[in-house]
Amino acid sequence: MNEAIEFSSIDDVEAALRAQSYLPERGLATSLFLSLAIGKPLLLEGEAGVGKTEAAKALAISLGARLIRLQCYEGLDVAHAVYEWNYARQLLHIRAAQEGSVSEEELFGPEFLIRRPLLEAIESTEPVVLLIDEIDRADDEFEAFLLEVLSDFQITIPEIGTIHAKRRPAVILTSNRTRELHDALKRRCLFHWITHPSLEREIEIVRLRVPGVSERLAAQAAAFVSGLRELDLNKPPGVAETIDWAHALAVLGCEELDPAVVEQTLGSVLKYREDFETVRDDTVLTLVQEARIAAAAAASVS
Amino acid sequence: MSDGFTRQVVTFGRVLREAGMEVGAGRLADALHGLDRVDVTRQDDVYWTLRTTLVARREELEPFDRAFRAWFLSTPVSPPGRDQDPRTMPSGAQWTRSDARMRGDAPNADGEPDSVGYSAHEILRRKDFASMTHEEFAAARRLIADIECRRPRRRSRRLRPHSRGRTLDVRRLARGSLATGGDPVNRRFRRRAEMPRKLVVLCDVSGSMEAYTRAMLLFLHALMRAGRGVEVFAFGTRLTRLTPELVTRDPEEALRRAADRVVDWAAGTRIGVSLKAFNDVWGRRALTRGAVVLIVSDGWERHDPSLVGREMQRLHRAAFAVVWVNPLKGGRDYEPLAGGMRAALPFIDRFVTGHNLASLDELAGLLSGIERRHEA
Repeated sequence: MNEAIEFSSIDDVEAALRAQSYLPERGLATSLFLSLAIGKPLLLEGEAGVGKTEAAKALAISLGARLIRLQCYEGLDVAHAVYEWNYARQLLHIRAAQEGSVSEEELFGPEFLIRRPLLEAIESTEPVVLLIDEIDRADDEFEAFLLEVLSDFQITIPEIGTIHAKRRPAVILTSNRTRELHDALKRRCLFHWITHPSLEREIEIVRLRVPGVSERLAAQAAAFVSGLRELDLNKPPGVAETIDWAHALAVLGCEELDPAVVEQTLGSVLKYREDFETVRDDTVLTLVQEARIAAAAAASVS
Repeated sequence: MSDGFTRQVVTFGRVLREAGMEVGAGRLADALHGLDRVDVTRQDDVYWTLRTTLVARREELEPFDRAFRAWFLSTPVSPPGRDQDPRTMPSGAQWTRSDARMRGDAPNADGEPDSVGYSAHEILRRKDFASMTHEEFAAARRLIADIECRRPRRRSRRLRPHSRGRTLDVRRLARGSLATGGDPVNRRFRRRAEMPRKLVVLCDVSGSMEAYTRAMLLFLHALMRAGRGVEVFAFGTRLTRLTPELVTRDPEEALRRAADRVVDWAAGTRIGVSLKAFNDVWGRRALTRGAVVLIVSDGWERHDPSLVGREMQRLHRAAFAVVWVNPLKGGRDYEPLAGGMRAALPFIDRFVTGHNLASLDELAGLLSGIERRHEA
């Protein structure tokens, strides 16, 4: 395990991610920097749509590393996360050899192994960012298994033996907190809670991510969404929604928010029927007016 | 890094522990290691470094920030967000059974005769928790721990070997056919296993509910020993999560601490607001989805009953089943007249009582076999 992938300073992380059109807050940049410097996995938590997964992707690209992603779901087991034997091939192999001359070692050798994300990350000789996405969706058994992998960076396959990481991958876990994770797992990770970005930051993000959006529209859309977050919604929109929406508005050729166009496109921001009921016509009107003022104020500052 | 600085960080760790955070040696080592790598003259970088290494969950962010302000920035710290200083509250007042509402027609609300044929045990089983003496409750306490608690079940997505399964277990099949030259003679199967279903409990800990809540928490404590997936919240005027304390502490101690936190003794119960807080924070994180939700309350909403209705509807939509335990229902001429209760009724799948040991027994039976009643 040599030449761990890392940056030389927090500023470096910020600059590298920015080059990938990802604008991290200082806290996130610090966490990523330390995660690489200390060699500990980083657990990212936060509301849906604040950019947890995006952070890992941007990190991988800026490090020139391969991103290996393990999407967790309920019922995820070792066969889908780590390895599986290629049974069809094994059966054919036994058949082809005839006369029962196949030894067990032969049958459970590397050529019959199907590598799933975790094993792939451990075995990789090139730099790797391992993203374990939505770990809270996997069940307890899997979490317990993950402990072994994350503390020792090794995987034991009974038929073959223990495989040690050739080089320690950078590991990022994300969680939407549908349930609390085991303390043991948390102890092995650094932790960062991602919040919605500040208005200025969000305007910058929209302008960076949505080509062809006017400065004024970007500011107004960001201000409008941050106004929505103040309301009492089932699902407050995340940055991802702001970007989608700004995109939709730009495609429609908008230069500026007005209530009519907001009504048409609100579907890319709000995802629940109840939320549409909360955001009535007069609310939209007020929010549009406020967004215009806030956007103008933000423009005069920068 | 200078020795002085190291010592300061170590002491800071102690401050955090006093604030209730778990800061082990490992985390401190990470913090020091991290500070080695960043520019310690930049206050924000020091802050973020300590935060990412020492904080493990969102709930710790606030105590951490407070401690950081106090320790490194030396600004005076305002006491935690409470309306009332705990020390000014009459000590122990909340734990005396003096609430008139609760007493009602007690003692012996059931009017159970002490007749021949009822053992002392049986009398205890039928006695309203609120009218029990201290000794009786102590005896009941032991009986509660003995109630056989089985959690509601659901089918897991995870397949396990099973002789009567439907899905071919290729892994075992391939291994088994080694002996027979590749002929799968013995077929093996897997099928979806049964798993405990999530159980979410919202417990009213206001004064009127005290005796019942105590019994209920003892019951839940026993249930939680049956494995993970039980989440308990307490509410009065506010909502607080009780699960970690119930796991590690004595349930009565946990209840006392919870009541200190969420009950504002002058303001009355706010069921609607508490349900809303639950839906907003925990429902949004999908804790309710597919869960059996158990609400323990007398339904006395002192504020807006329509909010109770609205939030119950939200809860009901995501939950597998909603069970309301109302100890007052045990009274003979009880009708759900409390405004909050009436608003909640349309969204309740099972409405049960929980005022004595026998009814807790029934509740345990109900939970283990509960099925979905309402449309998704």
